[in-house]
Amino acid sequence: MDPLSWTGQIAFLNPLMMLTLAALGLSILAWMVLSAVLPENRAINSGAAEMMASGPRDWVASAVRYAFLAVIGVVLAYLILGLILDTKAGIIGALARQFLPVWIALVLLFAISINLKRKLGLYGKLFDSPIGMIGFALVMFWVFTGFFGAFDMIITHDPLSQLSGLKNKVPGTPLPNPEEGQFAWYLLGGDNLARDVFSRMVKGSWEVVKIAPLATIFAFMVGITLGLPAGYFGGRLDTFLSFLANLILAFPVILLFYLLVTPEIVATGLPQYMAAILFAFPLIFFGVLINSRFHTQPQKNYLWLAVVLIPLAMLYLSLINEKGSVLDIAPRALDFFDIPGGILVVFVSVVFVNSPTVFRIVRGLTLDIKTRDYVAAAQTRGERPWYIMLWEVLPNARGPLIVDFCLRIGYTTILLGTLGFFGLGLPPESPDWGSTINEGRKLLSIYLHPAIPPAMALLSLVLGLNLLADGLREESLKD
Amino acid sequence: MNKLADYDGPILEIDKLSISFFTRLREIPAVMDFSVAVQPGEAVGLVGESGCGKSTVALGVMQDLGKNGRIVGGTIKFKGRDLAEISADELRDIRGNEIAMIYQEPMASLNPAMKIGKQLMEVPMIHEGIGEKEAYQRALEVVTDVRLPDPERMLNSYPHQLSGGQQQRIVIAMALMSKPSLLILDEPTTALDVTVEAAVVELVKDLGKKYGTSMLFISHNLGLVLETCDRVCVMYSGEAVERGSIADVFDDMQHPYTQALFRSIPLPSADKNAHPLVAIPGNFPLPHERPPGCNFGPRCDYFEAGRCDAGDILMENVPGNDRHATRCVKFKEIDWNAPVEVGEEKEKTKPGKVVLKMDNLKKYYEVAANALFGGGETKVVKANETLSFEARESETLAIVGESGCGKSTFAKVLMGLETATEGQILLDGSNIEQTPIEARDTTTVSDVQMVFQNPFDTLNPSMTVGRQIIRALEVFDIGENDRDRKQRMLELLDLVKLPRAFADRMPRQLSGGQKQRVGIARAFSGGARIVVADEPVSALDVSVQAAVTDLLMEIQRNEKTTLLFISHDLSIVRYLSDRVMVMYLGHVVELGDTDQVFSPPYHPYTEALLSAVPIADTSIQKEHIVLEGDIPSAMNPPSGCPFQTRCRWKSEVPGGLCDIEVPPVRTLQDGHQIKCHLSDAVLEQMTPVIKTAAE
Repeated sequence: MDPLSWTGQIAFLNPLMMLTLAALGLSILAWMVLSAVLPENRAINSGAAEMMASGPRDWVASAVRYAFLAVIGVVLAYLILGLILDTKAGIIGALARQFLPVWIALVLLFAISINLKRKLGLYGKLFDSPIGMIGFALVMFWVFTGFFGAFDMIITHDPLSQLSGLKNKVPGTPLPNPEEGQFAWYLLGGDNLARDVFSRMVKGSWEVVKIAPLATIFAFMVGITLGLPAGYFGGRLDTFLSFLANLILAFPVILLFYLLVTPEIVATGLPQYMAAILFAFPLIFFGVLINSRFHTQPQKNYLWLAVVLIPLAMLYLSLINEKGSVLDIAPRALDFFDIPGGILVVFVSVVFVNSPTVFRIVRGLTLDIKTRDYVAAAQTRGERPWYIMLWEVLPNARGPLIVDFCLRIGYTTILLGTLGFFGLGLPPESPDWGSTINEGRKLLSIYLHPAIPPAMALLSLVLGLNLLADGLREESLKD
Repeated sequence: MNKLADYDGPILEIDKLSISFFTRLREIPAVMDFSVAVQPGEAVGLVGESGCGKSTVALGVMQDLGKNGRIVGGTIKFKGRDLAEISADELRDIRGNEIAMIYQEPMASLNPAMKIGKQLMEVPMIHEGIGEKEAYQRALEVVTDVRLPDPERMLNSYPHQLSGGQQQRIVIAMALMSKPSLLILDEPTTALDVTVEAAVVELVKDLGKKYGTSMLFISHNLGLVLETCDRVCVMYSGEAVERGSIADVFDDMQHPYTQALFRSIPLPSADKNAHPLVAIPGNFPLPHERPPGCNFGPRCDYFEAGRCDAGDILMENVPGNDRHATRCVKFKEIDWNAPVEVGEEKEKTKPGKVVLKMDNLKKYYEVAANALFGGGETKVVKANETLSFEARESETLAIVGESGCGKSTFAKVLMGLETATEGQILLDGSNIEQTPIEARDTTTVSDVQMVFQNPFDTLNPSMTVGRQIIRALEVFDIGENDRDRKQRMLELLDLVKLPRAFADRMPRQLSGGQKQRVGIARAFSGGARIVVADEPVSALDVSVQAAVTDLLMEIQRNEKTTLLFISHDLSIVRYLSDRVMVMYLGHVVELGDTDQVFSPPYHPYTEALLSAVPIADTSIQKEHIVLEGDIPSAMNPPSGCPFQTRCRWKSEVPGGLCDIEVPPVRTLQDGHQIKCHLSDAVLEQMTPVIKTAAE
């Protein structure tokens, strides 16, 4: 087998790509210069439609648009030709082919969503904003990659198996003696333990996709459950909770992480106690949510409480209970699963670090919303404070919270990367992006390729989340 | 820079102007075929309900329609020059220099980080390039002209140090700095209190005369337009429907909408039993759902299918009147002087037993000087001072006063959101003044309910209408199960005359009036016996106000509810209330039957209030009483009588008693109470503020 080049038979697209990229860069530069120099258009009078299509400003604007479309077109050409030609189109072709399930899923998702966008509320409006669409596509690309990767669909090799002779080999290196049915190349090269970089990146995306949103949800539960009463009641409670939040925010995060994984600290059970407290918040949140809503109808109340709280309580017990550790309180029959101590620490630290910020946002929103007349109306009909907070205030704070949720998944992803980079939490052989970057870093001056793919993956996912949040914010402000 | 050359035609000439806003889904026409001319020195009023496009016209004149707005037809000529053809540089010169605009919210027009003087001086320094000294002189002159006390100190202060009325005066001063030829005022007094509004309107009128400025006065208040303008243009749903001189439009109206508008506002001749208001049926059409032909057609009494909905209707001149035009195909056939069809005359309800009694109620707040550590001196704000009155079953008691008079605090104490400092509130003979709402039983809570002021805020935007009413029913323990409550909710929707389908709507799909109806349904869901209505209609459009007011009255009549109607609008108070209580700075200054309060002898404050309220009736003559200054802060009330700082009768009281002593409550006759030092002899001399001119 020959080594694969990057583009193989579709190398003819490379000069085209260079050309379009250069055009895009130049037109953006010209656009920036011109918009600083030329005065604003006055698009108000009747002839405005024609006026808008003339003048150097408008030429440049359309130039930027066309150059951007051209770049997109060339990228699409790479992908489609790659899909058809597979390994004949080099590494890019092979990658395009490997991601086939993701492409299909993305196209289906977008086709359905765009068709139904008028019926889908805020999610549908997202498809009116190009920024939001790009962000959503990037995010969903990694979500699908993680999802299919978890079923071993996209990867070419086992992420943990080492093949001799492929240590630190460059992208496109063929396997020395491939067996039947084995993929014949390391598409993105091998790392310093001769594992396939591409497969590790794909597997790593699952680690990120499963931990980051979940950890963010926990952080939101904690932030919301504390932020609402702080904003609503104010006074001493607010002063105390805000002080606490500031204290946590002022604490050096990295030091905290190191402390949490220190064996002596783990032995005292501190992370587990913290987990026991932090993970109790969803229980409190849902309990209060249901009780405040149905307390006038006891039967319904108990039914709902039972339906929601019993499974949650079982999950909670299984989550915090660990055999043989300081927290071994639940009977064996109720301890369904154990999560590795490392993951628990990751969760605890992410929730611990993120919830004060969520707390502040929720508190601020509550301070604003509690002055509205419908809150006063609820008060004058004798509603309890928690009903007002959870059913009158919280639903109306959802806009900014959804946007922040997207952004915060991004931060959490980076935080996971940071944790992995320091080798905290996750097991050392874990393929998550942070750990992979850290390993690749050691030989960075000689071998660049093991560190680049996970770094680019992290970058594009966080970028996607930020763009998605931007798009959501922009669209939620429109009519 | 020079002003445009002298020009003696109309200052502003808008001809067949059409403005549209472009959204993602469609083009929304905001203004269609709108024409108006403003002659030099003339004040033209632009009247209409919210959403009729009057502010869009103003923005169109300023050529400031934003990204989505565009002029799609017609021309705007300023001093004979088409504004669409003027370059951006010239336009910048015209704005602020030749055309100045005054907006509703004064604080939003002033830069909070800049001293007043500097902001004022900027105007001529930019537009005319004059020196700092000269600009300062000019600023001083203008600030004196807008009758602000101590002009030099004013120039040296920041906007937040001034009261709302003073801020608006500064904005007016700023607009006058460059001596513009056209002044656009967009609801300039809506954010101000009535007595302050009266003073500002007076000022604008005088300044218009002094500077010879033409004015385009935008308002929803017909009374204000009557007081300020020479000519008026009535707008409805993006079109001008009637245009003419004040006298022609007010007394010889030629459009059904204008007529309906006048019939729906509470003029002094209206009476809730004998001459009830006539609400305009239906709703204002949304901009993209306008009917074919006449926009007012579906709501018009004179509608004739085949003619009124046949095609575009153009403005037509009314023969015999000066520049009087109307957009109605049938105006020559309609008998404009036909008397209003009086609906069934309703019997005046007899007040029943006393349900609510306030006795010497006091509410003081302690405000810590240092909020963070709670130390230092505390200041006492006396929000309510010795409030005593009784309210009977099926009686309407109006509580009148301007902002800061303590009426909202009183409502809070009554509702149990705050507890009283002293005195008692008796509900059916039992004390509730010290029971916070959490400690009240369900019956007490559902007995005393409230209707809120702002329709856009009164409903939770993320819950369906039905769900919100059902929630109230749940809390009040009404109905056995969900089906019962759903049934009751639908009945409540019937009660407030909303279609049952509204149960599944979200509040954003409802108009302001409809939301207010839902608010009323919610308040009555527990069979409320006392309803506190906190300015329930003041944020609604005139034509909707009448309908909501009538609804409240009708429910009250049927349910024998005691209505505590909080308002600053004396016209509507006179229309619907049985008794009136006038409050000023926490004190009840006058209390009595509606007739007693609205006729002399008055408390001096009531007198000023009555004079300040604009009345849209040319046959009414008012005595002009303009109160000086602003309402004092409740933090730092004046010594003695709370009203002594602004009272015009103060000199009639011997011995400076007003400065020293809070006047005692005196009962004049039949329970007419008044809190004033004036002697009976002086009170006898008072003449009515509002007189109907001899026919």
